[in-house]
Amino acid sequence: MKALVRPIPGRASPSLALALLILAAPVQASSDAKNAPKGDAAFGEYLSGTCVTCHQVSGKATGGIPPIVAWPEDQFIAVMNAYRSKDRENQVMRTIAAALNDEEIAALAAYFGGLILQPDTKK
Amino acid sequence: MMINRRHILAGTGAIAAVAGLGMPVVRAQAKPRVVVIGGGPGGATAAKYIAKDSQGAIDVVLVEPKDTFVTCFHSNLYLGGFKKFDEITHRYDKLSSAYGIRHVRQWANAIDRDKREVVLGDGTRIGYDRLVVSPGIDLRYDSVPGWGKEHEETMPHAWLAGPQTQLLRKQLDEVKDGGVIVMIAPPNPYRCPPGPYERVSMMAHQLKTTGRTKSKIVVLDPKETFSKQGLFQQGWERHYPGMVEWLGPKIHDGIKSVDPKTMTVTTGFETYKNCALVNVIPAQRAGKIAVDAGLANASGYCPINAETMMSTQDPNIYVLGDASIAGDMPKSGFSANSQAKVAAMMIRGELIKARTFPARYANTCWSLIAPDDTVKVGGRYEPKPDKITASETFVSKTDETAEYRKQVQAENMGWYDGIIADMFT
Repeated sequence: MKALVRPIPGRASPSLALALLILAAPVQASSDAKNAPKGDAAFGEYLSGTCVTCHQVSGKATGGIPPIVAWPEDQFIAVMNAYRSKDRENQVMRTIAAALNDEEIAALAAYFGGLILQPDTKK
Repeated sequence: MMINRRHILAGTGAIAAVAGLGMPVVRAQAKPRVVVIGGGPGGATAAKYIAKDSQGAIDVVLVEPKDTFVTCFHSNLYLGGFKKFDEITHRYDKLSSAYGIRHVRQWANAIDRDKREVVLGDGTRIGYDRLVVSPGIDLRYDSVPGWGKEHEETMPHAWLAGPQTQLLRKQLDEVKDGGVIVMIAPPNPYRCPPGPYERVSMMAHQLKTTGRTKSKIVVLDPKETFSKQGLFQQGWERHYPGMVEWLGPKIHDGIKSVDPKTMTVTTGFETYKNCALVNVIPAQRAGKIAVDAGLANASGYCPINAETMMSTQDPNIYVLGDASIAGDMPKSGFSANSQAKVAAMMIRGELIKARTFPARYANTCWSLIAPDDTVKVGGRYEPKPDKITASETFVSKTDETAEYRKQVQAENMGWYDGIIADMFT
C-alpha cells in the first residue's frame, strides 16, 4: 500500500470520522433537536450516485476522501449546508452541494445515515 | 457462463417483425435483458447499477473480452512511479459473484440493430431489450503522417491502458540523460483532456528523480490551448525548469512527417532527429463497433439524448463515456461513471417501471504535476434541449498553497479508490 493511501481503520466509528472532519474545519450542527430531519431515503439513494464515485458506500475511506456513511442526519445536513453556503472549503463539494435543495440534502442524509459502516469490504 | 443460443433466438425472433418501427420494444420473454458492450467506467458501472438496483428483475450481460481492466486514469501515475501496475489493474469477478452479471469474455464484433442482437467474436448472437454501448475510443492510426498501427511498438501511444502503458514506461526508463522526448498531442475531441499534460509532468518527474535533467520533453500540440494550461505550465517551470517545451501549431507549423526507423519527427518549423522516445497520441473517435453500427455522426462520436444518454439513432441503445457526444462533459472516467448511472436508471424505468428522476451529471479530473502538487477541474452538468450543459464549473488556481495542493492529491488518491469500488465491487 502506498503511503499516500491511508485506510481509516475499519473499526473507526462514524462519530470519530465526523469529529475529525469537524476539527479540520468546524461547522455548526443544528442545535434544534425537535426539527430532527426525516428525508426520503429512496430519493437519497438515487441522488447518492454522484457521491459514491468518490465516497465509498461501504464506509471505507482512503486518501483525502472521508467516509460519509452512518452519520447522524442532522450533522450530515449541517456539513452539506456549510458547503452549499460556501462556508466550508472544497471546490468539488461546493459545486455538488450548490445544486441540492433542503429536501435533497435531507434525503441524502437519510440514505447515508441508514447505511452500516462495513468493517472491511475486502472479501 | 455460456449463453444458450436457442433460448436467445427464441426470445428475439418474436420481436423481429416490429423492430423496424424504430420504437423501443420489450422482447417476449419473462425477464428483460440488457447487454453491455465494454467493461470500462461506463460499461462496468452501468452493468453493476442495472443489476444491483433491479435485484434480479433484469438479466444483465457484460460483453468484455478481458478478465481485468487497466484504468487509463492514474496510468500516468504508474509512468511517474507513484503507482504499481497491479494497482491500476482490476478484476471483474465481483460483478458476477455479487450482482449476478454474466460476463461474456468475447469481443463484440457487431450490432444487429434490426434484430436487436450483438454478434460476438465466435459468431454467437445475444439478443437484447436494451443495449449499452461503452466501447471507449478507437485511435485514428492515419492521423499522423508516417505513423500507423505497425509503429506503435516503436513509437507508443499508450492511450489505451495496458501493455502500451508498460512499454512507454520501459522506453522512458531507457532514455539517457540529454535525450530528447517528443510527444505528439492529440487534436480535440479526445479521451482525457488534461491527460497528455499530466503525462508530460510524470515523465519529467521520472527524469528529474533519476538525475536525467539534461533531457527535454518537446510537446508538439495541434491545439492552440489545452486543459489547465496555466496550471501545467506554471508547474513545469516550478518543478522541471528547462525540461519541458510546449509548442502550439502557430509555432511548430504542423507535423509534416514521422519516421519510426530513424526516430525523427519533422514539423513545419524544425526536425527532431534521433529522438530518445516519441509518444504519438493520435486523433480519436468512438470505438469501431459504435461507428460500424451507425451510432456515430460525421464527428466520429455518438450523439445522445442529454436527458437519458439514449442514442439519437436508436431508442434501444444507450451510448456512454468517451464514445458519446456528451456536450460540455469531458471524456473522462468520472464522466462515464456519472453518465452510466443516469442510463442505468432510465433503462430500469423503461424495462421494469422503476422510479426515474431528472438526470444529473458530475465530473472532476485531478492531475498530478509533481509529488503532492495536484490540480483539479470539474463541474456539475444538466441536460438542456441541445446538449448536456455545464451548470457550474471550477478549476484550481495558480496561487494555491503547497499544503492545499497536497490535500488535493490526497483527494485524487481517495477518489481513485472510490470509483474503483463503485465500478467493481
